[in-house]
Amino acid sequence: MALDSTRQLTLDPVEIPAERSPEDALHLAAGSERVDILFGSFKDGRGFSLAAHLRKAGFTGELRAVGPLLPDQEGALKRVGFDTVLSDRIDAGGRGVRVPFESVYQPDPTGGGTAEPAYRQRALVARGQHADALAEMLEGASPEAILARTLEEYRGRIAVLSSFGSEAALGLKLIADIAPATPVLFLDTDRHFPQTLQYRDALIERLGLSHVEILEPDPEEAAREDSDGQLYARDSLACCALRKVRPLNRALAAYDAVITGRKRHHGGLRGSVKAVEFDGERVRINPLAHLSASEVSERFSALDLPNHPLVEAGYPSIGCWPCTAQASAQGSREGRWAGQERTECGIFDPEPGKRAERAKSVRLI
Amino acid sequence: MYRYDEIDREIVDARTAEFREQVQARLSGALTEDEFKPLRLMNGVYLQLHAYMLRVAIPYGVLSSEQLRTLAHIARTYDRGYGHFTTRQNIQFNWPKLVDIPDVLDQLAGVEMHAIQTSGNTIRNTTTDPFAGAADDEIADPRPWCELIRQWSTVHPEFTWLPRKFKIAVTGSPEDRAAIGVHDIGLKLVAKDAGEIGFEVHVGGGQGRTPRIAAKIRDYLPANELLAYLTAVLRVYNLAGRRDNLYKARIKILVESMGADAFTQAVETTYRDIRGRELALPAEEIERVSSYFVPPPAGAPDEAPSNDRAFLTWREVNVKPHKVAGRAIVVIALKPYGKAPGDATAEQMEAIADLADRYGRSEIRVTKEQNLVLPHVEAAALPSVYEGLKAIGLATANAGRPSDIVACPGLDYCNLANARSIPIAQAISEALEAAGLDEKAGEVTIKISGCINACGHHHIANIGLLGVDKKGEEVYQLTLGGIADGDAAIGKIAGPGLSANDAIDAVVTCVQVFADRAELGETFIDTLTRLGHEPFKEAVYGA
Amino acid sequence: MKVITANRLADGRVVYFTAEKGWSENPDDAVRLSEADADATLTLASGDVLTVVGPYLIEVDSSADTFRPAGRKHVRETIRQTGPSAGSTRALEGV
Repeated sequence: MALDSTRQLTLDPVEIPAERSPEDALHLAAGSERVDILFGSFKDGRGFSLAAHLRKAGFTGELRAVGPLLPDQEGALKRVGFDTVLSDRIDAGGRGVRVPFESVYQPDPTGGGTAEPAYRQRALVARGQHADALAEMLEGASPEAILARTLEEYRGRIAVLSSFGSEAALGLKLIADIAPATPVLFLDTDRHFPQTLQYRDALIERLGLSHVEILEPDPEEAAREDSDGQLYARDSLACCALRKVRPLNRALAAYDAVITGRKRHHGGLRGSVKAVEFDGERVRINPLAHLSASEVSERFSALDLPNHPLVEAGYPSIGCWPCTAQASAQGSREGRWAGQERTECGIFDPEPGKRAERAKSVRLI
Repeated sequence: MYRYDEIDREIVDARTAEFREQVQARLSGALTEDEFKPLRLMNGVYLQLHAYMLRVAIPYGVLSSEQLRTLAHIARTYDRGYGHFTTRQNIQFNWPKLVDIPDVLDQLAGVEMHAIQTSGNTIRNTTTDPFAGAADDEIADPRPWCELIRQWSTVHPEFTWLPRKFKIAVTGSPEDRAAIGVHDIGLKLVAKDAGEIGFEVHVGGGQGRTPRIAAKIRDYLPANELLAYLTAVLRVYNLAGRRDNLYKARIKILVESMGADAFTQAVETTYRDIRGRELALPAEEIERVSSYFVPPPAGAPDEAPSNDRAFLTWREVNVKPHKVAGRAIVVIALKPYGKAPGDATAEQMEAIADLADRYGRSEIRVTKEQNLVLPHVEAAALPSVYEGLKAIGLATANAGRPSDIVACPGLDYCNLANARSIPIAQAISEALEAAGLDEKAGEVTIKISGCINACGHHHIANIGLLGVDKKGEEVYQLTLGGIADGDAAIGKIAGPGLSANDAIDAVVTCVQVFADRAELGETFIDTLTRLGHEPFKEAVYGA
Repeated sequence: MKVITANRLADGRVVYFTAEKGWSENPDDAVRLSEADADATLTLASGDVLTVVGPYLIEVDSSADTFRPAGRKHVRETIRQTGPSAGSTRALEGV
């Protein structure tokens, strides 16, 4: 009995009249599992924006719309974040089956919805088709040709992702020769080898890269999830999520195409990397995908590019210091997360193909 | 012009089907009138004095000949053979039966049209420059942005129950022809040195009971951030706009009560919170929509010389320069002397559709001055277009002339009106013709509203009339000095209210004073600024 | 005297409440109500929500044999009954 009454207590909804300010609503809703937004009239649109605001701010409990709301409004109420509509008008009058709207013109205002707005559906289809055409056109092309074409094609919305690791100099050099102002995204995990940072700065200087974005983890998230700085030891995947995946996703929001240094010879999931791919959201350009380890070294010598200082010390692939070990073969990723199942930090969706297929499965226009 | 894809079609079809069910539910009693009313309004259906009125959206005033023919068909089949073009670039049918409206909407959907959000406390049809894509002073074509706004605002889940109606206007030319200063949101396309385009954002303008000029809240918004920023403005308004007083519910009152700075800050904060990938317009979609709005090819180089004086006058008055060589913009003034402003019969609509097909790339525009435009006419075909218009009584050379009068439907049709507008406009038009003032006077705008809601745009008329009800009598207030486009301005009341007859005389008198005292090339506003209001007031009210 | 008017739900046309407790497009069919009866009859008429929209009382000239709106809203009610006054205002001064 005691248990039941406690549950009753926690499930008692917090009631928020629709006229409350969004700040008040957020304050009132904090920590509760169920919030009722009270509509005095079905014409009061404030509740719609309050719900969207609460959801966008991270409220995950149950959200109920309470008041004389019409069945005609149910679809919109759910899209702005309500789970349930409590109204005696919903079933009144035997309105029968409501007309469904299968497509929408707007993203769900909650920020976390699943409905893709028409403008994104169409754009993603077009982007995927365009990437496929480029992939076909650039099949077997040189890294220079791939970069020349794609840097032009996606000008203003393309960035380079670089770890300034063992092989990074080659791709960066080729890009700098064509468009040195291309944004270069570097994830500063605060766990890099000092040599990597020195090497990064030296390369930026030498290649004349004029737009490097240093991406850091969100300080609030870092304080919450890794207060002692030892997260890597407890859960390296969570550490990567905090220090790499999320910061990169935030930065990538501004770009539709990203150049990576992934190569097939890295093996594992990278064994089938193609020069141009579509991941369902962005186009990935992998201009060096087809180069072998020895071709990479040959080009390094031919272009007189400096090696990462740790390569000499036996690190063929270089990430953060806690999760990088020495390894035997040149270019190998064996030393990454050694002793764990993992071979990737997670910034590259392991199943880009599936997502791309999903994007393309949208009814064609 | 834009063509629907499968998604557009599906949404409009779903909405039409939804409304059919709602009408059924009202007829069966499952929906009360109080519940049904806002639902019908947001589908363009009013109940006016004599009948239902259906307001059909003409998105940013752009029509195809096929669409115009469908409007003609609707006028003939479901109405009384005519339609009324409005100051918001839409068309209204004054006589449809409620039970027929779902069928009308189906027919509209068949030609990619609808009546969604032409009324109600929703985001209304976005308006723009009627010369968009043809004007020779354009920075960028506003139509793709209007279409993107149309889609974003259509059946918006969060913004369908706003405190009050919400109107957005976009201009792509430095010489604003969309009156962005008197809109809830006015967007002006601007280009950066590097050629990137974006928007200057103005918020809180409007006419009605408390006319206000919009405040500029942002100098530059990157174009692809448009939807995120609009969402932020609308969310601030939806949450904080007043709902306790109908007359204080527009965003202009919110901007004024918060102060433009605090309002701007609230919008910017919300914008930072919500912006992101989901709300950013993808380059591919901007490109796709833009691809529907390409300029027409050049026309034949030579325009045959003509000796027809009437044609030459019409050509000088109603034809505007086009940005493409060998083409011209033709304004079809729906203002024959003594007729109701903005009305067109089914036959006229069909004849205009034919002219558009033959000489104007099948495209027609609707203007906020209640005129139609053939935006892309081959210059060589101007005489033929003129003859074609003459045959249907629409070749009056008065576009932009004094008799190009704007008038709301007024008490002849409208449930809200206090006084009649159309008969006043007709009488003024006849008097101006009789006095030859279209020829004698320079540029002046006359606009008439039958109530304070100002659908007739009297606030921004050079010479405005506002109809009021004074103890059961129709009385008209005369205003002077309003400006619609460019640096919008609100007219000032000139003196005591006038009877209908006196109001008609007063307007004609003001035009006469202008004609008599204007210096060469002066517009009414120039003369008014130079002389002050006194000479006009004196002529109307006596010393 | 007063009569009750409304718009018909199905087509929006102007109708008047009759002595038979029905609705007619002909204003001369309207039941004329004294001040005393007006409100009660309006309540009755307002119950007819599946036939009409928004019934309300209007004043009519009790001295006239035929329907003639009076009072503050006489212009509006005359236009409602006779249709839009397209044409010259001066010709309509009698309204």
